[in-house]
Amino acid sequence: MTVALSAPRSTLPDLRRLWTDAPAFTALALVLALALIPLYAAMALETRLFHGDSPWLKPVKFHYALALYTLTLAFCARFMPARTRASRAWRWFTAAVVVAILAEVVWLSAAAMLNTASHFNSTIPAFTAVYGLMGVFAVLLTSASLVMGLSIWRNAATGLPSALHLSVALGLILTFALTIPVAGYLSANNGHFVGASTRTLWLMGWSRDAGDLRVAHFLATHALHVLPLSGLLAVRLAPARATSLVWVSATAHAALVVFTFLQALHGRPFLPFLG
Amino acid sequence: MPPDPHALFQLTGPLALMGWLALALFPLAPRLSQAVAALAIPALLSVGYTALILVHWSEAPGGFGSLAEVMALFTDPWIALAGWVHYLAFDLFVGAWITRTARAEGIAHLLILPCLVLTFLFGPAGFLAFTALRAAYAARARMQGVPA
Repeated sequence: MTVALSAPRSTLPDLRRLWTDAPAFTALALVLALALIPLYAAMALETRLFHGDSPWLKPVKFHYALALYTLTLAFCARFMPARTRASRAWRWFTAAVVVAILAEVVWLSAAAMLNTASHFNSTIPAFTAVYGLMGVFAVLLTSASLVMGLSIWRNAATGLPSALHLSVALGLILTFALTIPVAGYLSANNGHFVGASTRTLWLMGWSRDAGDLRVAHFLATHALHVLPLSGLLAVRLAPARATSLVWVSATAHAALVVFTFLQALHGRPFLPFLG
Repeated sequence: MPPDPHALFQLTGPLALMGWLALALFPLAPRLSQAVAALAIPALLSVGYTALILVHWSEAPGGFGSLAEVMALFTDPWIALAGWVHYLAFDLFVGAWITRTARAEGIAHLLILPCLVLTFLFGPAGFLAFTALRAAYAARARMQGVPA
């Protein structure tokens, strides 16, 4: 860490820019996080179980994940051209993404209220009917990372070292490119386990003795964190070869996603020695 | 130990009373009093209410369509508790609004104490009393030519 702290340009990013660069995403991240308070209160009052866990576990996980996702998008918005951020098209697009995310979390909490399945529900007609629409919303909200990744890719004036610039754009694009096939398959698979799962990992809930498609989904979606982190490390530790290191990291991460996806398809757990 | 509506009910009264006490003592520390009675305690009660509805609404009997349905709704102890917390939260919030509106319009705090008691016990009756008091102040200001 001393390497990073003593580097010449190690000033911390200005977090107040979240509100000026992406007010809608920033506000949404805050709302999703604050909504965890009543969700945890509901979890404390709940006595019903859904597949062995509190029905509120799933909305809670999605609130964390989507709050982190929108906060990351809000942060990365500073690397887009200012003209793009100010455009009418961008504002309408972010509004649509916000509506899609709100629809997803309302749908998840409604399912928890009824103690029924949100995904893969074939017993309640309304949930079966709305599943396709939720899929469209899921693609829409994920496409925000693609749109931002491409915009940042083409922006010549991000103020970032070129390898870091590449890693931010590539991370966002990979999040979309890897998540869509993995999550698309997952949504059509009629459940996230492949095989019968009897034990799960603490916190993440990944199966310890069956295939779990959520591992690949998790890794695919976090490309937008993993890649910039690799870019940051490459720029600090090996500035001369930073750009090629970012490409290597991108390839390795994509390979890891493909590997964990195939592993789950074969019914095998990810790192079974954990937990 | 599973959550028990009767035990939770016992917590709600003292919580709301703290808010009303803060309103009664408003002149001593106006900003603190409002922070407690208009924000902190109503928000806490609202979290409890929201959680109760999230967990128990889907399996509750009755509905909103007729008095019989509403009565059936409140036969469920969890829903009755939620309804009670709803009263406590909103009555306190109205009490806080009365208190700061009186301050803004120059109505003596002593005069609104009975309105606050009424709001605490019988919500809308207290609101009505304060509205009458406010109308009286406005009428006096007009008759005396004093800008309200």
